[in-house]
Amino acid sequence: MPVFNIAKREIEAKIVYYGPGRGGKTTNLEYAYKAFKKQVMGEMVAINTEGDRTLFFDFLPIGLGKIQGCDVKVQLYTVPGQVQYKSTRKLVLQGVDGLVFVADSMVVRREKNMIALKDLSDNLKEYGMSIFKIPLILQYNKRDLEGKVPIMSIEEMEHDLNRQLKVPSFPGSAVTGEGVGKTLQECLKLTLKSLQKELNWAGK
Amino acid sequence: MTLQEKIKALLQEADLYKNQSLLNEAKDKFAEVLDLIKEKGSSIKNVDNVINAISKKVEALEKEIETMYKSATTPIVSEKAQNLIKQLFSFSNSGNSNEANLQAAIALAKFGQHERAIKEFKDLLKVDSMRLVAAKNVLRCLISHTSIDEAITQFREWQSNDLFNPQELEKVKVFLEGYFAKHGIEKDLFQSNAQQNEDQPSYLEDEGLDEEILDISSIAITLDNGPNKGEPVELDVSFQAGNIISLIISSQDKSLIDNLKVGVKLNNVHFYSPVAIFSGSGIVAEKSIIATGPKKGDYSLDIKVVNS
Repeated sequence: MPVFNIAKREIEAKIVYYGPGRGGKTTNLEYAYKAFKKQVMGEMVAINTEGDRTLFFDFLPIGLGKIQGCDVKVQLYTVPGQVQYKSTRKLVLQGVDGLVFVADSMVVRREKNMIALKDLSDNLKEYGMSIFKIPLILQYNKRDLEGKVPIMSIEEMEHDLNRQLKVPSFPGSAVTGEGVGKTLQECLKLTLKSLQKELNWAGK
Repeated sequence: MTLQEKIKALLQEADLYKNQSLLNEAKDKFAEVLDLIKEKGSSIKNVDNVINAISKKVEALEKEIETMYKSATTPIVSEKAQNLIKQLFSFSNSGNSNEANLQAAIALAKFGQHERAIKEFKDLLKVDSMRLVAAKNVLRCLISHTSIDEAITQFREWQSNDLFNPQELEKVKVFLEGYFAKHGIEKDLFQSNAQQNEDQPSYLEDEGLDEEILDISSIAITLDNGPNKGEPVELDVSFQAGNIISLIISSQDKSLIDNLKVGVKLNNVHFYSPVAIFSGSGIVAEKSIIATGPKKGDYSLDIKVVNS
């Protein structure tokens, strides 16, 4: 749920990176933190376990400047991907405006991708939201591992994850940065479009 | 591809999974290599040494996996991180600072930062309108984070000071005794020299479980019949008054609405509170369609929580 301060003409939206554990959600945010220095409005906060797994969430605030007369700020979050942190994922998802689903391209993680997407759909449902209606982008991460380990083709991943959703999707490599910016930009675009529809801020 | 080349490729794959912290996948891949060598690798030079080396890798991974699952408990994070949790997850739109502080303390408790949450709840004990809910949350945190005895000690401390009025204290007592009754715990809340005021009603004598149960944030039910039979359904609680919880069910969940007729008993319900999960059963007490507002067309459902 966006925060819209009409008096100050400020909008604060929330985008959450979701996906299976070790899929590259935090790496996406780390790359964005380095690559979009001008937009970053504060430190990136990462709460990790010893094994460098996200424990609660990562957080990165960015500012997009003035859009249609409104100062637009966006909070980027990641959720912990491990199955046992379901309640934390649900908590972080509260009030979400847009989503990036970071899928792992490795064949061995195929089932985990699908479980995570189902988990996302279920959690959204509990907040009265639909995975089919919320701004959502898919990123097929770890394409840089092609040739090193068996990875799925884009077509296979589209069939697994996107044949019903039919949302924008991008191949990517969070470690090299390939596709990270495109994914985020597209998610911001869809989210702002959705908020504009919801809040009609340009008309206020 | 020769056998040696295949083994080399599989070992590289296993190492890459290990580097990605995909420990189970790495272990399975190393195990696959072991099976392959045992089956076809008798001609490999120093085969026993190779098997031994890979077996050690599998053992090391098993230990690492075990450690990872053991450390799945919630650690205490830095004060800075706790402040961020407070700031980001309080979700209070009322504009009331006490309400926001309560929400922030609940957020800390949900993230397992009980000590800090207790401190925040205790600060709210000074606020008349927040005292009761804050006190209940202090006790919940103590029960889940330290021990029941600590919760009793805290209650006795409140008994011996004048922070709470008698009615408030009675409600806190009923809440705690209700928790004990629900969990089959036999504890005396009163110090041996404490005198109970005989004029005060004991809510525990009332029918039902009013005020005895934890605040419930969501429930999971599994229906015994109908098209949703056997499917677990999770629903958020929108309001709670004692042992009656209200839920809103979307008009799109038609089969679920049809199944949940007034009077239906729901067995094996999981009740989720901010700090605990308990099982029990419930009875559909009331069902009505929402006639106005943004939820128009959806259904409001009251479920009475009953003992299992």
